[in-house]
Amino acid sequence: MTMKRRTFIKAGAAITAASLAPAIVRAEEKVWRVGGSLPMTGPFATAGQLVAPALTDFTMMVNDAGGIGGKPMKIEVEDSGYVPKNALANFERALASGPLHGYFGDSTGFMELVGPSLTGDKAVMMMSTSFASSLADPAKRPYQFMAGPSYQDQVEILLKDISAKGGKTVALVYSDSEFGRDPIPHARNIAKQLGIKIVLEEVTKTAGADIESHVTKLAQANPEYAILQGYVTGVWPQLIGAARAFGLSTQFMGTFWGMEKVVADRVTEQAGPFLDGYQGVMPYRYFYDQKDAPYYQEVNAWKKAQNADFPGYIVTWALEAYINLLIWKKSMEITIEADKPITADNLMASMRSIRNWDTGGFFGSPVSLAEHKIGQGRVYKYSAETKLFTPVSDWITT
Amino acid sequence: MITGHYKTAYAADESIWNNWAKKSGLVIALIGLFAFPLFANNYLLLIAGQILIYMIAVTGVNVLVGYTGLMSLGHGAFFAVGAYTAVIAHNAVENLFPLITLALSAGVAALFGLLFGLPSLRVKGLYLAVATLSANFIILFLIRQDWAAPWTGGRQGIETPNAVIFGWELASNTAKYYLIAPVFVVFVLFAQNLFRTRFGRALIAIRDNDHSAEILGISLYAYKLKSFAISAAYCGAAGALWSYFFPAILPEDFSLNMSITLVVCLIAGGMGRTLGPLFGTLLILLIPEILKIISGVFTGGDGNALIHFSSIRDIVFGLLIILFLIFEPMGLVSIWDRFWRFVARWPFSK
Repeated sequence: MTMKRRTFIKAGAAITAASLAPAIVRAEEKVWRVGGSLPMTGPFATAGQLVAPALTDFTMMVNDAGGIGGKPMKIEVEDSGYVPKNALANFERALASGPLHGYFGDSTGFMELVGPSLTGDKAVMMMSTSFASSLADPAKRPYQFMAGPSYQDQVEILLKDISAKGGKTVALVYSDSEFGRDPIPHARNIAKQLGIKIVLEEVTKTAGADIESHVTKLAQANPEYAILQGYVTGVWPQLIGAARAFGLSTQFMGTFWGMEKVVADRVTEQAGPFLDGYQGVMPYRYFYDQKDAPYYQEVNAWKKAQNADFPGYIVTWALEAYINLLIWKKSMEITIEADKPITADNLMASMRSIRNWDTGGFFGSPVSLAEHKIGQGRVYKYSAETKLFTPVSDWITT
Repeated sequence: MITGHYKTAYAADESIWNNWAKKSGLVIALIGLFAFPLFANNYLLLIAGQILIYMIAVTGVNVLVGYTGLMSLGHGAFFAVGAYTAVIAHNAVENLFPLITLALSAGVAALFGLLFGLPSLRVKGLYLAVATLSANFIILFLIRQDWAAPWTGGRQGIETPNAVIFGWELASNTAKYYLIAPVFVVFVLFAQNLFRTRFGRALIAIRDNDHSAEILGISLYAYKLKSFAISAAYCGAAGALWSYFFPAILPEDFSLNMSITLVVCLIAGGMGRTLGPLFGTLLILLIPEILKIISGVFTGGDGNALIHFSSIRDIVFGLLIILFLIFEPMGLVSIWDRFWRFVARWPFSK
């Protein structure tokens, strides 16, 4: 039998790391197991299918580098169809199949549903795709965290940017969903503190909104800025397109799920360059901005080594999965280093102890996770010509 | 070999457990039902609990659709009414006895059933199905409103209480299962017996020919509304159990999709038979889970592989339902009947 160079390096790294690992690691399971639910079917299948490869790639990268504390990790993903009780069944099945060291949830609904039951034997360190403000609550949700700013933080960042640029009037346009309404009361308070007048609050359907009617109301209110919240692929491009056709000069701004380059590029290709100048808050650097992001460079090199045709871009939704898993990995390493058992309580305590951590370029400055979230982000602007989002503000913290 | 049943009284004709096979089947089913948690893990208990709750609700839908012949696509909303009533009641009165909650949830859902059943006095068939659709939209709209949020949690949903019986908090999946299972047995037996009464026969008469039933002296208005109320009460009770079973309830749990699933379970199992809802629910809720487990075996949980398998899984599920409806349009209960006829006539059966 011949051993390939890569296999030899992998085996060597694993053996070395295992021999150096504290006793607690050697005493436990053979693999660090992370479960996950993603919407591979259903209304958000596009997002799920773009995020899924990130979980596999992260696992392979970690294992190629010798695993965590000398042990490999494994991620087992299941389809949820974006139905919270399906994700709950996936979680229970993962729990019943053996020790579970982390879990990746697919929605706010699932995190809200499973949250109260994460006690005793069911307690698992849990990350997700959600930025719902209610999840960043160490007292009420001791085992859940988010790898970025909550929706409240994101809207606060936008309002601070508007204030810094001398903006005086804003409209809040949001979908009639928990996702859409989440930051609105907070936005009202912050706007008041910053002296910004909310001239319109417009609620739309999550899909199939009456665009003409909403744009007419926007035209009547004529705000300098309009913050759009609670949309992923639909409604927000149509609103902006109709507003531009109407001749409105309002500056539109979005939050994380409305800031994906792939969506903006597709809209530009299919409907014209009206998204030019669209701005919004993004917690992470875009993947093409790799100059000050050593981790992005590492991922890029690894992806190129796996696939020479890798186009050099990873969607922001997948970046969220990477940083979630990086935080989990960091918590694992801290716990192992302290020679403590890998329990949800110890992992969360380790995570809360993270201070001034350099994430390798996801964020502009070192981060802390004491509050189960990372309250920073930057405002980006889209160019229809270059098809890139470029920063128009410094990193803003909340 | 059983060649026939010799009966000398009407009561004998109406008896349910009229042969040894049925009696022993009942005993085995009850033993299996109550012994299940001894062998099941939390995941299996989660699935089993959901299935039993759905079975209660589908049994309720069967009262209306299968026995009275009135179509409804709004029963998910009555399910929601029951679930939210239970949470509101518990938040108002701490440690409320679960049977009181169940009765309350069933009662409030029955009132909503009466209200949304009113169109049945004027329309039937597909028209009634469309009219009952409104229940989903109106009730969920009310639940989601900000002014209702202190009671319902609004769009964000609300955490649910654990049932407490004489100081014992039913927190584990096993304990919750043991709350659901007896309620399930009682509700199914009630439905079975309902159609041995004058009231039940009146509903069947309405289903078979409402004009003839009216000529026979059956008040269509009263009986149709009562059927709606009973049917909604079943869903309300199921909703109350749902709120005990899950740590939180969300408005999207009770969307139109749930109403459709309830009807699909009934059609797949067989309408107008007590066992139909049980078989149908088992089929419709279990197949996706089984397919998911099979796909998990093939993908090993790998995200890249899952991208392809997830779509295939949905296609397989859809095909199974289509094939099932083509080859067994009378529902699973008809296979059950054929099987027992085969057993009864063996060795002369074909």
